[in-house]
Amino acid sequence: MEGLVIWLIVTFVKILVILGIVLGVGAYLTLVERKVAAHIQRRPGPMVVGWHGLLQPLADGLKLLTKEDLFPRYGNRFLYNLALVLALVPATLVFAVIPFGPEFEVFGVKVKPILTDVNIGLLLVFALGSMAVFAIALAGWASNSKYALIGSMRKAGIVISYEVVITFAAMGPLILAGTLSTYHIVQSQIEQGLWYVWLQPIAFVVYMFAMLAETGRVPFDIQEAEAELVTGFTVEYGGMKFGLFPLVEWYIEVLSLSAIAVVLFLGGWSPINIPFLGFVDPLFFLGPLSPFIWFILKVSLLFLFVLWLHWTLPRYRIDQITETAWKVMLPLTLLNILLTAILAPILWR
Amino acid sequence: MPWAKEEEFISLKRRFEGLEVEEKSTITILHIPKARLLDLLKALKEEKGYKLFLDHSVVDFPDKRPRFQAFYILYNVDEKKRIVVKTWTDGTLPSMEKLWFASKWAERECYDMFGIRYEGHENLVRAFMWETYQHYPLRKDFPLEGYATDYLPSLNETLWGESLQGLMNYDRMHTPVPTLEDLEITEKRRLQKKAQIVLNWGPLHPGTHGTMWFLFDLEGERVFQCDVILGQLHRGVEKLAENEMYNQFLVYTDRMDYLSALCSNQAWVVAVERLLGIEDLVPEKAKYIRTMMAELQRINSHLLWLGTYALDLGALTIFLYAFKEREKLMDIIEGITGARLTISYTRVGGVRMDLPEGALEVIKAFVKRFPKELKEWETILSRNRIWLRRNIGVGVVEKEEVYFYGLTGPVARGSGVPYDLRKFEPYDAYGWVEFDIPIGENGDVYDRYLVRLEEMRQSLQIVEQCVRALEKMSKNAPFFAESPDPKKLKLPLDGIGLKVPEGETYSSGENPRGELGFYIYSTGGVKPYRVKIRPGSMYNLCVYPKLMKDRVIADAVAILASLDPVVGEIDR
Repeated sequence: MEGLVIWLIVTFVKILVILGIVLGVGAYLTLVERKVAAHIQRRPGPMVVGWHGLLQPLADGLKLLTKEDLFPRYGNRFLYNLALVLALVPATLVFAVIPFGPEFEVFGVKVKPILTDVNIGLLLVFALGSMAVFAIALAGWASNSKYALIGSMRKAGIVISYEVVITFAAMGPLILAGTLSTYHIVQSQIEQGLWYVWLQPIAFVVYMFAMLAETGRVPFDIQEAEAELVTGFTVEYGGMKFGLFPLVEWYIEVLSLSAIAVVLFLGGWSPINIPFLGFVDPLFFLGPLSPFIWFILKVSLLFLFVLWLHWTLPRYRIDQITETAWKVMLPLTLLNILLTAILAPILWR
Repeated sequence: MPWAKEEEFISLKRRFEGLEVEEKSTITILHIPKARLLDLLKALKEEKGYKLFLDHSVVDFPDKRPRFQAFYILYNVDEKKRIVVKTWTDGTLPSMEKLWFASKWAERECYDMFGIRYEGHENLVRAFMWETYQHYPLRKDFPLEGYATDYLPSLNETLWGESLQGLMNYDRMHTPVPTLEDLEITEKRRLQKKAQIVLNWGPLHPGTHGTMWFLFDLEGERVFQCDVILGQLHRGVEKLAENEMYNQFLVYTDRMDYLSALCSNQAWVVAVERLLGIEDLVPEKAKYIRTMMAELQRINSHLLWLGTYALDLGALTIFLYAFKEREKLMDIIEGITGARLTISYTRVGGVRMDLPEGALEVIKAFVKRFPKELKEWETILSRNRIWLRRNIGVGVVEKEEVYFYGLTGPVARGSGVPYDLRKFEPYDAYGWVEFDIPIGENGDVYDRYLVRLEEMRQSLQIVEQCVRALEKMSKNAPFFAESPDPKKLKLPLDGIGLKVPEGETYSSGENPRGELGFYIYSTGGVKPYRVKIRPGSMYNLCVYPKLMKDRVIADAVAILASLDPVVGEIDR
């Protein structure tokens, strides 16, 4: 009984912490993005609200919340609102299986900094990722606008193609680790003294591409190509409802997929890895905090990489994107799986 | 002046009865009866090499019978000659749409403005005004202020005594106001299959670069038919021109192609100077200043094009880079002329004022720095694989199509036609400076992109040479022409009292968006009798529906931006 109460309390605290981090950080990443973009474009970015625009996300949020709630004529109000829920919930749920660090002890209670260490963690991630299609398709359909419909169809096409690719790309590390649990994948990387990116460079590159496509980042941001479709499937949304879609797509999903990339390829919370030799930790002075810092560092690096691409490259056309997915990336990942599956049992264990 | 000579048409004279050749210093005209017009134009196109269609319209003489004098302006690109073909009509003309697609648009405009009916025209609908409009605005009996009682019909009104039943009545003429109901009616008319969407792209859409309205008939994302609806920005500039003095009309040229106001100013004053025959009187300094400013304006305009083009293809950062440099140029232009957008700096006979102190230094600093920036953007874009895949092979314009569609400017040069009036027919100081004309090979979007980038470099070269020439000149050198005989020809700086003798001419300038031509018909006096403006953008746009066939929407922005139309000039 006592164990159950403690477990409930711990889980509750975890949920609060994760939700707080995800939504808070998600909101503040808008500021990060705007600042990074501004400096790439040789301008200062937001400077007025707070010191160097630090309060800008709050001002934005306030503005979005106080806006009139518009609804398109002849739209389907139920689906219109359902799309929002379907976009936000699965994207946030992915964080349930992301391990932020190693197990630690507080007040004599052992705590794993992961909400649920289920043994099908990665399966859950991809299942939830596929849910994004519903949100987008519904948003486009319920808006009763051709621009929204075309945008949502484009996005649905991409998500379906790249869901396949991203799943196959993740298969390589899975074979090496022999488990679907995210926590244990990291653990096995630490035990083997090796980040899987060294063995799976193709899978990593493909994964990063697929991640850009899934989250609608440049060069795959065709679903909201503003020159063609104004803003794609969000065109009929207003106020905070409009704000939610980019928040989910561009920030929460990028964060969750970056975290999964870190877990799969970059050894989770482990410090810098020298292949086959072990780990070097320049942050050793932080003591037990160091793994968490490493995890955050890696995720932010990937996030900045995504931003860098976003503000540099032009965008692909829809047929070119799906063509790349099916003709280049999928064969590559299949080859990768084949090689891994043949070589791993011989050389690995 | 690059007008064809009379001798050339001796053989034609034998074949065409009633053909008369009129050769003047400002123009060469072939007069032909209406019955043989089509054959003559065909012969000119196919035998004599006058392949490039420049312009067509009519001049209205209410007192004469027949009433309208129609003119066709053609160009022979290989031999660099221009010819005007004229005929008289009372209201009907044969359509030239088989010979030149561009004439289709010109004819639609002429039908709209004068009520000329074209026999054999496939789609003779009004170009700018709405369908139910009863009047023909450019006729001389149409009052300048228009008819106050005629306004755009509203949906709640009854048209032609027919009672409207809301959305259900699809048979009635659709209104020109793009309301929701109207869009749906247009859509219902165009739908042929079930799996089809009619996408209203515009009139207000971020991808159209202005208030243009496109209708895309889509199957999936593939466009199988595209239509352009013009007239959202029609202001009747040509009508205004007939009622303003030569110098007063200058400010309207600013407002046509508002992104390259200086070039339009220059084209207009050069046209008037040619009509007056005072081109040689304009002092050297004024010519150099005009050339330099026009080239700065060209860079300015191309920068805006580059920024928005990259923005359309998703490269957001280039947009801000380009605009930063453009801002510098705007500051330079503002410092010299006092205005940033609508400049009106040139005058018939020179420029409005001398260069201020330090202007040349600022320009020199800009010229020195700009190539570095340009190179930086090229490293981001030109060899970028995504950029190449989006651009190469998209929107291919063949060399023959350039003539067929009457394309000019960078669009023509991108397809390998070296048609550049700065070389073909040097006005102002273009004859004295050295520069190259970049031309493309394949005629796709990427070639047009490269051509425009290279044009910026060449413009810089011209600016540099102009600066060098201007530095050598004395500070007190005149910047405005002096009339040799003030009693016969008054040449004031403000243009008031400038009288132009009887005569006509067609003169054009190389604008960043193609050839901006002015056909001026003067019957003497301070105001022109008729001014026909040849808008480069409009003829460049007329190839768009053809290029959009079987492309996806994503290409629509790329192709449209590569044609680079400005609605102010298209609709006038």
